[in-house]
Amino acid sequence: MLRVTLRGIRAHLVRFVLSVLAVTLGVAFVAGTYSLRAMLASTFSEIVASSLTGDVYVRGSEPAGASSPLGTLGESRNAIPLDLADDVAAVDGVDLALPDLAGPAVLVGADGTAVSQGQAPSFAQSLDPRDPAVSVAAGRAPSGPDEVALASETLEASGLALGDRTSAVIGGELRTVAVVGEVEFGAPLAGATVVFVDVPTATAAYAPGGLVETITVHAEPGVDARALAERLDAVVSAEADAETITGDRLRADARAEIDEALGFVETFLLVFAGISLFVGAFIIANTFAMSVRQRMRELALLRALGASPAQVFASILVQAAVIGLVGSALGVVAGFGLVTLLREVLGRFGMSLSGEIPLDGYTVTVSLVVGTVMSVVAAAVPARRAALTAPVEAMRDDVVVQERTLRWRALVGSVLTLGGAVAVVLAVRRPEASGGTVLGVGAAAVLVGMLLLAPVVARASLRVLAAPLVATIRPLGRLARGNVTRNPRRTANTAGALMIGMALVGASAVLAASAQGSTRSIVAEASTADLILRSAAGDVPVEALAGAREVEGVVAADAVTLGSVLLAEAGRGPGSGPGEGSTDPTTVVGIDPDAFGRTMAIEATEGSLDRLADGEVAIQRAEAEDTGWGIGTELEVTSSTGRASVVVGAVIDSPAIPAPVVLPEPLFAELVPAEQAAVNLVFVKAEPGTDLGELRESLTDVVAPFVVVSVLDNDEFASELAAQVDQVLVILYALLGLSVVIAILGIVNTLALSVIERTREIGLMRAVGLGRLQLAGTVAIESVLTALFGTVVGVAVGVALASAMPSVFADVGLGTLVVPWDTVGWILVLAVVVGVLAAIWPGIRAARLPVLEAVTVD
Amino acid sequence: MGRHSDDRAPTDGAPRDDRPVIAHARALVKTYGTGDTTVRALAGIDVDFVRGELTAIMGPSGSGKSTLMHCMAGLDDATSGTVVVDGEDVSGMSERQRTRLRRTRLGFVFQAYNLVPTLTAAENITLPLDIARRAVDRDHFDAVVDAVGLRDRLHHRPNELSGGQQQRVACARALVSRPAVVFADEPTGNLDSRSSGEVLAFLRRSVDDLGQSVVMVTHDPSAAAVAHRVVFLADGRLVGELAHPTADTILDALRELG
Repeated sequence: MLRVTLRGIRAHLVRFVLSVLAVTLGVAFVAGTYSLRAMLASTFSEIVASSLTGDVYVRGSEPAGASSPLGTLGESRNAIPLDLADDVAAVDGVDLALPDLAGPAVLVGADGTAVSQGQAPSFAQSLDPRDPAVSVAAGRAPSGPDEVALASETLEASGLALGDRTSAVIGGELRTVAVVGEVEFGAPLAGATVVFVDVPTATAAYAPGGLVETITVHAEPGVDARALAERLDAVVSAEADAETITGDRLRADARAEIDEALGFVETFLLVFAGISLFVGAFIIANTFAMSVRQRMRELALLRALGASPAQVFASILVQAAVIGLVGSALGVVAGFGLVTLLREVLGRFGMSLSGEIPLDGYTVTVSLVVGTVMSVVAAAVPARRAALTAPVEAMRDDVVVQERTLRWRALVGSVLTLGGAVAVVLAVRRPEASGGTVLGVGAAAVLVGMLLLAPVVARASLRVLAAPLVATIRPLGRLARGNVTRNPRRTANTAGALMIGMALVGASAVLAASAQGSTRSIVAEASTADLILRSAAGDVPVEALAGAREVEGVVAADAVTLGSVLLAEAGRGPGSGPGEGSTDPTTVVGIDPDAFGRTMAIEATEGSLDRLADGEVAIQRAEAEDTGWGIGTELEVTSSTGRASVVVGAVIDSPAIPAPVVLPEPLFAELVPAEQAAVNLVFVKAEPGTDLGELRESLTDVVAPFVVVSVLDNDEFASELAAQVDQVLVILYALLGLSVVIAILGIVNTLALSVIERTREIGLMRAVGLGRLQLAGTVAIESVLTALFGTVVGVAVGVALASAMPSVFADVGLGTLVVPWDTVGWILVLAVVVGVLAAIWPGIRAARLPVLEAVTVD
Repeated sequence: MGRHSDDRAPTDGAPRDDRPVIAHARALVKTYGTGDTTVRALAGIDVDFVRGELTAIMGPSGSGKSTLMHCMAGLDDATSGTVVVDGEDVSGMSERQRTRLRRTRLGFVFQAYNLVPTLTAAENITLPLDIARRAVDRDHFDAVVDAVGLRDRLHHRPNELSGGQQQRVACARALVSRPAVVFADEPTGNLDSRSSGEVLAFLRRSVDDLGQSVVMVTHDPSAAAVAHRVVFLADGRLVGELAHPTADTILDALRELG
């Protein structure tokens, strides 16, 4: 039996090629994701190893708001005094105690623009000549406020050379600096821009209040780190709210945290890999369904010769397993190659990653298992069908394949679709009652329901779609329509694969357009500013803000400053109450109370924003609902530098404010030290009667040296935010692209297999005079109809479901529904193109069939 | 063979009188494979088919009768020799020209699988005209449909028709474009005797009433008896022919050949 099974694959190798390819692509995505994660993990692990070289670290003992805008490794804690380092250094067994001084910086490269690689951080840190973690590879260590050294990769990316003078923004201050040294970091930087300054400069820039996050301690040779940590703990805890942790622990914690972050990336990518595999399963199911249908007599003969249904069933599954295994093996290789390629390409663009791409047993095993199981599961239904072949079929002259009833599909599909639709409508009507979850479940039900219903609606839908072609392209339109409607299940399965991808593409398009539309309307509603300052690096340097305030014609430059604190209802303390989320810091913004009504048109829904002038705070309605806080609630605010008690004076509902809590600027400044605050935006109000064009020019002159700051009007600002959405959209499209490509392969597969299946019919039509081009044209029309069917249903479902989201997610800033009809139009055009492309190979195959063989085939 | 009957014609396959020839082959050779495995399906055949006649081609299995028909109809390439159909040299034609020839000048009836399953009977009948983008001559269409007796079945799909009905639809399709020649390859091979009779009667009527020319391959003497003339093939050669045949004379001839 096994021999028959394997011969079956060999005899029909061509038929299974595309199935193997479908598995390969899906598994390549899975294996690639794991390899990518492994590569990133090893890259970051190396960074951790070479940047955290201390034997012991001293850090704050109390949880607090995140103190570094860079994002910290390990949980956020209170800051500790800088001069604690001196006490530590005096302890027996300590070789060196170095405060960790680092913060955001902007380096201007040789081309006059900021040196940056995508989203990778750009920061400056102190370079202590005694620090064993870094070594000056060329030139010398910087000394004085006007000298910097650059990490080797940064030097290369910047296009600067030793001895060059350039501009840099360090600690919010613009300065002209000389590049005096090149520093070897000992690990790939993954695109980070790293500038080194001397200790006094770093101290002034990043620890003006004399507080740092950590102190790195290097032990004398032979001293046990754990014992030293214990000894130091007694010293530092006596001096401040501080404690020690061994370097090994900290590095392990850092790695664990990176691992967790990469886990999210991995999960995100795996979702798309899963979609690709799911789509690939359609191809396999279709291939086996067609193969079984065609081999009915052979299978019946096996049954007549005594094979049991179980044996027939198993033989089909073994074939599927072989295809899955071969496809997965190729997929592992392809995935590995893909990541290698990615690393090379990123390396070209200055983003060096670890040289190692570990291909571990886990990745290989999971990939092989996933691909094989998917293949076997997909083939199960056709296999069952094969097993139920009656032996008597072998004796029949022509095998009439009975089409199974679609009744169950229709029933289950309708129930799912309707149920899902009801859930979606409910979510829209009552978004407050966990609308997001209901919407998600409802949307999934609708999508699955539509997949089930597809064969039921296929005939009618395809007739409508085909009508113009039947009328115009005679007789090809009619022939093609006949071919796609004769087996609606097959057409629907083929189109279903595309439907999934297109539903997600359609939904993404609507979401992106709605996000952009919402952003525009939020900006239009909330901003009464004349001009807005925004930084490409994330924060506007304080010096630039100060400069802007000096410009003539500027009445006010209101900064929206981001910081991070711990919040808790008074009397409960951080980490003790429900809803406060333990030691998770809350992002807060500091805004001048006068800004409301001046540059920002934001109204309180409860209470009054006027109370911010009295030191009270405002919270977003969503936060109020989550925590149960309201007007008059007393809150305990803990930051890295202090603690304060505040009262909620206003509840607002504004997606324009990028944080759940608004602190009045004086309070914010008190709680969040300048070096830990990031000026997100500056809203500028001009004196009445000022020429805005001129004002804009003067402002541009002021901020130009900071390179990363731009002056925008409201429309441009909204457009810039919208452009960010476009970037996300491009990534989403790229990830969905693979599933669409696999779906296209599915169309090619079905067409090619149905050409084989219809050999006689094609021969007949060729015999009575159908030309080769006409035949290929028929195949192309079939293909286009299939692609259009999948796309139209998919996009309709996707657009309809995504249209529900703005109502449900209005409170997170997605309030405006925009359906991008032009994009939808282009997607349909794309479907036609895809259809034509998919038809090329099957069309050529059909046209090349010799007429005579086709007529005389058994 | 001439000694059997005065009706017998010379074995060169030429017509007995001066009636016009609609299709002929000269020195037609068809071989398959190369070297030791070469099979000569047609070993040099000269044959004429007369306009307005029903000619049957008979012979045992492997005699080359189907190959002869395929070569005559431009479905297959001859290895050497000439085929002329309705004044056109088929042997020199490109695939495109042959497609055109089949579409405009020839009609086909195969043994089985004659109809496109997705099209109705009426659509199947007009398929060659649709492919050629020629208008359907309604009167002729009606005449043909009535002749095959399918008026009430026109909107049925092939799978809703009996085998005999399907074959009659195929005949109607072969005739609707008024082809120069209709080639029928074992048109009754899959039919019961009653259906066979109907199909054969119709083919003969199309010759007698509509002036059609028909070439039919068959191994059934009673089917061949409907023809005006029978040519016999064996081992790729033309070995005899019989005019105004009956089932008995055919059987005699076959016995003699066998």
